[in-house]
Amino acid sequence: MHELSLARDLLVAIERKLDRADARVVRVSVSVGSAAGIASESLRFAFRIICEGTRAAGATLSVTTIAARGRCADCGIVFEFDGLIGRCPGCGRLGGELLSGDRMILRTIEVADV
Amino acid sequence: MCDTCGCDAPAVRTIEVNERLLASSAAHAEHNRAHLSGRAILAVNLMGTPGAGKTALLEAMIAKWRGSRRILVIEGDQATERDSARIRAAGATARQVETGLGCHLDARQIHDALHHLDLRAGDLLFIENVGNLVCPALFDLGERLRVVVTSPTEGADKPLKYPPMFRAAQLVVLNKCDLIPHVPFNLEQWTEYVRAINPHARIINTSALCAEGVEELLDAIDDVRRSFCAGISA
Repeated sequence: MHELSLARDLLVAIERKLDRADARVVRVSVSVGSAAGIASESLRFAFRIICEGTRAAGATLSVTTIAARGRCADCGIVFEFDGLIGRCPGCGRLGGELLSGDRMILRTIEVADV
Repeated sequence: MCDTCGCDAPAVRTIEVNERLLASSAAHAEHNRAHLSGRAILAVNLMGTPGAGKTALLEAMIAKWRGSRRILVIEGDQATERDSARIRAAGATARQVETGLGCHLDARQIHDALHHLDLRAGDLLFIENVGNLVCPALFDLGERLRVVVTSPTEGADKPLKYPPMFRAAQLVVLNKCDLIPHVPFNLEQWTEYVRAINPHARIINTSALCAEGVEELLDAIDDVRRSFCAGISA
């Protein structure tokens, strides 16, 4: 349940970006690599709980999953993972050296100034 | 007021961020790393399944190194001081962190623990993480070397089932290798799966019980330590 720690970190990052004292967060968009080991549903749930009583209370968290990409150790083909690992479309080998898709990126924060 | 129709709903505006979310503990991890580098202390994050033999390997390494190295161990478990007691009995200094419901150690806990240890230049610091192949992989503690420990009884396909853990390690240790002839475990298959996930990791087979492979593990850690120290003095 590391999503609880991540939700807390996300809230801290959001609060740092709020430029006005009266800004209330309505919606937050993040993208998560499929190899980041982050469960979207757990993150949304944890985020809702963590935000209670803050300026982001009730805000919607939109999570877009980005397919991770990796390189086959045998034939060198770069391909998209299906989740945490992938299968090389060239030789069928399972695994792949991860090239991207292990991060969470805070994209946008939609705020209402009240 | 709303920009569209002039109703009382407040206008919504968008703040573009597009920044990687670094765990707030990332700052603590960097602080730990700087603190330890300043004293030429190599920190090793020892992760793996519960029961893979992480503590037994530490005991075996301490036995080999006793007298020639100062070894400090931060022990992470959900409960009890049992592992710290074992490390002290083996002849090293230990500080226990009980994580309670926490499934991994984080950099803040390591920072606090460091303040309770008598750190000296050139020490070797092992952080034995909570036995868990999932969450510890995602949390940087400020270490220089990540080691994952598994054993044959867990089956050959663990690397495929827990890719982030095996991907994050520079050293992958198969402990209890004395059991290989006695359990249905395909070493070749396991090695192939580790390679598929992490082609660069060094793989070492050990048996803490029979003191097999422990020298090779010590050498591997010493290799990292040498390049780490050379990096500091450069």
